[in-house]
Amino acid sequence: MPDHNSRSTDHSSATGEPQDGTTHFGFQRVKKEEKASKVAGVFHSVAARYDVMNDLMSGGIHRLWKRFTVEVAAVRPGQKVLDIAGGTGDLSIAFSRLVGAEGQVVLADINESMLRVGRDKLIDQGVVSNVQFLQTDAQALPFADNSFDCITIAFGLRNVTDKDRALASMHRILKPGGRLLVLEFSKPRSNLLSRLYDTYSFSVLPRMGQLVANDADSYRYLAESIRMHPDQDTLLAMMEEAGFSGCEYFNLTGGIVALHKGIKS
Amino acid sequence: MADPTLLSAACAALETAINGALRYDPGSRYALARLAGKVLAVELTQPSLTLYLEPQSDRIRVAGHFEGEVTTRLRGSPPAMLSLLRSDRLNLAGSGVEVFGSTGTLEQLQQIIRNLEIDWEQALTEMTGDLAGHQGAEALRGVGNWLSGRQQTFERLLGEYLTEELSTTPARAELEHFYREVDELRLAADRLEARLAKNNSAPAPRDND
Repeated sequence: MPDHNSRSTDHSSATGEPQDGTTHFGFQRVKKEEKASKVAGVFHSVAARYDVMNDLMSGGIHRLWKRFTVEVAAVRPGQKVLDIAGGTGDLSIAFSRLVGAEGQVVLADINESMLRVGRDKLIDQGVVSNVQFLQTDAQALPFADNSFDCITIAFGLRNVTDKDRALASMHRILKPGGRLLVLEFSKPRSNLLSRLYDTYSFSVLPRMGQLVANDADSYRYLAESIRMHPDQDTLLAMMEEAGFSGCEYFNLTGGIVALHKGIKS
Repeated sequence: MADPTLLSAACAALETAINGALRYDPGSRYALARLAGKVLAVELTQPSLTLYLEPQSDRIRVAGHFEGEVTTRLRGSPPAMLSLLRSDRLNLAGSGVEVFGSTGTLEQLQQIIRNLEIDWEQALTEMTGDLAGHQGAEALRGVGNWLSGRQQTFERLLGEYLTEELSTTPARAELEHFYREVDELRLAADRLEARLAKNNSAPAPRDND
């Protein structure tokens, strides 16, 4: 059985977000309206080498995290799936095969560079017939209520300025019974792993980013943004606050990453 | 509790191996297409984990997490499962494997997988790179050969123990002698039956009075 947890307790929306009109950009505090352009700068910079860096940084394990996400998505032929922050399209490729000719996948990303890399990759792999591409903001999704059977956001939520607003937007466009899956870096379960992970994130990652992508700052932001992201239980509480029921999470690789699942009732 | 990352890695390796073999076997792919939509759950005891095999039009999907209706569920230890998979005919009696649901689906899938030439080296290489994959495959082959040798030795020793020590089963020579006697007895019975039939069909002696 996977290491997974669920609960249904009262909570407050203690997301760790500042309440003075600012928000986190890594360890920095910036005005809320500035965060999106700063994050955009990071992803414009890394888009071309995103897949290579993902493989390098995680030792290829990100493919296993995404594979598990696809399994938990339980997508069936004919369904409609929205892959938010879909980036270079790893999840969309898998969903395209599963929904088949009768289904539909929308690969959405706020960043034009990432979306272009993803679209080229899917076209190169012949994944074209049932996938659409959309540049959009997760906080204000341009779809009618009750539109999708499944929504995923993989390694994207921590970059969103107002996470509560994004979760509410996703809840609105899910069909009743539809599921949201949030795959995101989280808090390691053991202190030893946490210390090793910190050393790796703050010492090795920026150097790797400098060597491969010629961009140490973006990978320093990556490490910092992971630390500032809500931990497993806090994100679970945020999803419940947004209206999702049956919320649970699965710790992957000792909690370095967690997959959260919520159902729209 | 097992980390889903490890289970996903095992599923990915198995899926790569099976589909790599299917790529060069159009006959099996054709047979597989008829099973599309069925789901086989393989529930292993020790280690306790469940794998789901989902045939699709030209490949098999292997998952560690599945939500939906399972067509056939198997439960047993890994050696019992392997033995069932390798057997020429699906014989569940005494196999140590419990089956729930459709045995027809199981039989078809077992025949497809048994006929596949699975290249474990290719599967490992795709995951780990050329050198590590080759060394891993060599190690697996070594373990396989060792197990095969131990299995033959174990079968011989068990046979000797049952025959010589416990005298619960006859020796091979005794058994062959017994079979020869049964054959001779059957032939003698056939000859006797033929002779009786001939005597019965012969005309009765004529009465001259």
